[in-house]
Amino acid sequence: MDYRKIDLLFKPKSVAIIGASENPDKVGHVIMQNYIDVGFSGMIYPINRDAERVLGRKAYKNVKDVGAKVDLAVIAIPAEGAIRALEDCGKAGVRSAIVVASGFAEIGRDDLQKSLVKVSEKYGMPILGPNCLGVMDMRSRVDTMFLPTFKLDKPKIGGVAFVSQSGAVGSTVLDMISHEGFGLSKFISYGNAAVIDEVDLLEYLMHDDDTKIVLFYMEGVKRGREFIDTVKRFTQTKPIIIAKGGITQEGSKAAQSHTASLAGSATAYEAVFRQFGLVHARDIDDLLSFGKIFETEGLSPGKRVAIITNGGGTGVLATDALYSNGLVQADLSEDSAKALRKVMPSIVNVRMPLDMGGDADDKRFAAAMDIITKDKNADMIMVIALFQTPGADSRVAATLIHYKSNTDKPMVVVSPGGNYAQVHNQMMESSGLPVYESPSAAARAMKALLDYSNYIRDTCGIYGKGQKRQK
Amino acid sequence: MPKQNAKTGEEKPAQLLEYSKAASLAARYGISIPRAEYVRSKEDAERFASEKKIALKVISDKALHKSKSGVIEIGLDRSSAGKAYLSLNAKALKARLSPFKILAQEMAEPGTEIIIGANTDAQFGKLILLGLGGIYVEVFKDVSVRTCPINDYDAESMLRELKARSIIAPDKRSEKAVISLLRKVSEMVVANEWIRELDLNPVIMHKKGYSAVDVRIMV
Repeated sequence: MDYRKIDLLFKPKSVAIIGASENPDKVGHVIMQNYIDVGFSGMIYPINRDAERVLGRKAYKNVKDVGAKVDLAVIAIPAEGAIRALEDCGKAGVRSAIVVASGFAEIGRDDLQKSLVKVSEKYGMPILGPNCLGVMDMRSRVDTMFLPTFKLDKPKIGGVAFVSQSGAVGSTVLDMISHEGFGLSKFISYGNAAVIDEVDLLEYLMHDDDTKIVLFYMEGVKRGREFIDTVKRFTQTKPIIIAKGGITQEGSKAAQSHTASLAGSATAYEAVFRQFGLVHARDIDDLLSFGKIFETEGLSPGKRVAIITNGGGTGVLATDALYSNGLVQADLSEDSAKALRKVMPSIVNVRMPLDMGGDADDKRFAAAMDIITKDKNADMIMVIALFQTPGADSRVAATLIHYKSNTDKPMVVVSPGGNYAQVHNQMMESSGLPVYESPSAAARAMKALLDYSNYIRDTCGIYGKGQKRQK
Repeated sequence: MPKQNAKTGEEKPAQLLEYSKAASLAARYGISIPRAEYVRSKEDAERFASEKKIALKVISDKALHKSKSGVIEIGLDRSSAGKAYLSLNAKALKARLSPFKILAQEMAEPGTEIIIGANTDAQFGKLILLGLGGIYVEVFKDVSVRTCPINDYDAESMLRELKARSIIAPDKRSEKAVISLLRKVSEMVVANEWIRELDLNPVIMHKKGYSAVDVRIMV
């Protein structure tokens, strides 16, 4: 499959919705409504055997009656009818299709899935699915998902592509992402991968300039060796953060009946992830937490982390978190120590973690950041900002945002707490500063970034040119 | 490739490749294996033991775990080899291991036991494994795995990843030996796709390098 053909799914100029309906209970209705709601600027052709008009637009009995070029057909009718509809699409010269219907290989109907593949081959028509939610492209305003817009918060535009074999995981993560300050480039739910599979999608995203990092939930790959060839090149230019379902034997069985993925041992997947620089997320929490640091931070030159905090106890926990994740505390330079002694109140003990005291205000944060962002002995920075303290307010958040935009060092903020803290966390995250609820979540994410950074440093001579990541 | 029954798609059970074939294949890829030959009599065993100390092993499809079933004798010299041959022969008959052969092999230098293995994954093809050998591999599960073929970076990182790395390769020289051995094993299983599983268990790391004292290949 030529990955360039996949572009049609994301940037169609005309869409036929097969199964579009006036009945709000029908999937075809929700999909069409979504196209209208998100402001899709191309042509929309509802296809419905029985209706004259759907949602105010002229409906056609068959896609063959449209009589104009159709870039994409979204097939929103049950499996049995879907094959006939695809055949009609092929005859009508439709250039690509997304089959959202389930009822194929995942329930043992391999015959239907085979027919679908045949139609795709016969007409050279790329097909996504079946048994999927389809795609969402934040820039071209394409949204084939059959989830009503009011039920799901949609993320802002950004550089993260999120790919999910499972539609359910896909939509929940999508909903969660919008609260994590992520910017999304594309969302893809690809289901059974009958024609377009994970290798094709990765090839496409590797060449997609809108995508800077990929979050991937998968249950299995279809073509192991090709997958390796692709990710080997991919990870040299953009990180892939991957969570795999079905790593236990029982989970693997569940996955097989779910999206009809071939097994392959968990050991083998882990070996592949490790060997070719994929960032392995143990679960969805990891996926989101790692995604956040990879979206905004560049590579880390090393494992030395400077911690500054306005709470002593949290500083201790943070130190533990660093060491239990294979990171170490930065040993500040003599110059930094001297400078800090000058600007910190005498009660502050100048050493790591730098505990500035509960009364630290934005000025004290600024003074510390000024010195630490310039210290060559610190590879990364973890700022613990407890907004419960008397000194911390919005000015602290603004200060951290300011220093973040003036340093190349990877930097994260740890800010646990309730509403008051959350408001500030959102401020910081939407300004591109990753915020974590706990020191251990922050340390895990920093370790993931470090592992990837080391991988790139060690392998850039072997697998690729080791292009510098764009921030 | 695993041999499959064309009709049912089921895999045939794996078969153990005869030891001398496995050993000579490994030797062809430059894997260092102590000198060995089958012995057929007490005198044969004594003759083989005339230079270095030897081990005698019963080779039979029915004795996959030699040390567990007690059909191995080690540290034999000219004076003890003959007697050991006779007693092993009797033991193997009693344990109904026929048909069997008795392999005489020169003892390796003493050292640290490691394990290197390979098998075949349905999705990703050949995998290679490294771990501390002996009983430890099962107890600590301290192993690292990669897909084949591997390059120097992969081999180095396999070693680096192990908790037991400083036991397996305490110095540069032993590190180089492990890396080179890993790459040879990878090359061998990639070139011979019919190998389903391979076990070099144990490989003894010693002053002069290493010795792969047992080679098991399943086809």
